[in-house]
Amino acid sequence: MSDVASRVKAIIVDKLGVDENEVTPQASFTNDLGADSLDTVELIMEFEKEFNIAIPDDQAEKIGTVGDAINYITENAK
Amino acid sequence: MEALKIGDLIVKQPIVQGGMGIAISLSGLASAVANAGGIGMISAAGIGMGQPDYMKNFKGANIRALQQQIRRAKSLTNGAIGVNVMMALTDHEALIRTTIEEDADLVVMGAGLPLKIPAMLAEAGLTDFRTKLVVKVSSGKAAKLIFQSWASKYQRIPDAVVVEGPLAGGHLGFKKSELSQEPVPLHQLVRDTVSALRPFEEQFGREIPVIAGGGIYTGHDMYHIMQAGAKAVKLGTRFVTTHECDADLAFKQSYLTCADASGIDIIDSPVGLPGRVVKSAFVEQIQRGETKPFKCAWHCLSTCNFKEAPFCIAQVLYNASQGKMDEGFAFAGTNAWRATQIESVADVMAQLVAEYELEATQAPALV
Repeated sequence: MSDVASRVKAIIVDKLGVDENEVTPQASFTNDLGADSLDTVELIMEFEKEFNIAIPDDQAEKIGTVGDAINYITENAK
Repeated sequence: MEALKIGDLIVKQPIVQGGMGIAISLSGLASAVANAGGIGMISAAGIGMGQPDYMKNFKGANIRALQQQIRRAKSLTNGAIGVNVMMALTDHEALIRTTIEEDADLVVMGAGLPLKIPAMLAEAGLTDFRTKLVVKVSSGKAAKLIFQSWASKYQRIPDAVVVEGPLAGGHLGFKKSELSQEPVPLHQLVRDTVSALRPFEEQFGREIPVIAGGGIYTGHDMYHIMQAGAKAVKLGTRFVTTHECDADLAFKQSYLTCADASGIDIIDSPVGLPGRVVKSAFVEQIQRGETKPFKCAWHCLSTCNFKEAPFCIAQVLYNASQGKMDEGFAFAGTNAWRATQIESVADVMAQLVAEYELEATQAPALV
């Protein structure tokens, strides 16, 4: 597993209080991991902080699954 | 009872009148509360609906009406006047800008996260103003998110926080399922919010007062929630049954004729939030699933699914404010049934203060 993927998963486990095994690339934050609207905003903010990037709102709206987050960050993190 | 301090804004009575839309709290009620020493709030929701060009030019009508109401309130009082703006309003940015340009004392931003407001104000060239920026939340977690976001992106934080619990009136920041179970009590939300703000108070070296609302009705309630850490209270329902409240008498009477708590219910608002209302024949029709066809001239709420909504929430609330109770309903807090008469705002404020002082002398001091 890439470094980005493991760091993304660690944030999700910490913020959503879910089991690591549930955090699969296909898992949807809201449908599978029980995130509410505040949680999703918080996750985006945590990703921005961890990877020192700015995720524009129109991009943030498209990040619905764990895999979406990993892909976006892999492509955009320096 | 200590004065409320929001930065350099000092308000003698730590009582904020909740903004109530549509057209329930305008300049009449707000100026009366400000004259009695509290903070009077104008609700910006649907404020232009009484303007003749509203259906054709809603943005212009809303801004014009908001300007008129702020100017009128300020002409009637030297006290503190604020404006309540829901982030879910599609024109919330223009309404917030107008509030600041008209030099209101504060703007309260709720019903959505105001994460981009500092950027919007900077773009509009509004960098040096007196208006306090207050955010309204339903949890300590939401407060923390907003403060974190503003602090990291804009190196600033809001000036105060209103935390509104599940017993409030109108649209609620809780899911229906959360309301039917044992909801988190307000004093717990206050404690959570106070502790969420503490790191930001330290980082920025200033106090961020927490204002508690939702189910507070008496000075006794007020005393106890302030013991939990609130620096002020926000009451809406209590001010509806006053002479100065801007709603039609029939609206106020719907509170008076409500005999007990069973007269208050929760409906699904097309906005996508639950709303607490006074039960009525109209409410029963809505609950049975009857639809009230309407034409949406403009999409006033970003969260409203206006193509499928069974009725127009703005229209039914405006109808109620005008006294048409068979074509609209009255939003109300859990305690609305407790009102027995229409009073003056000065009398309500004096009662709240007296009850608070009495409780302060009788309640065992917290160690």
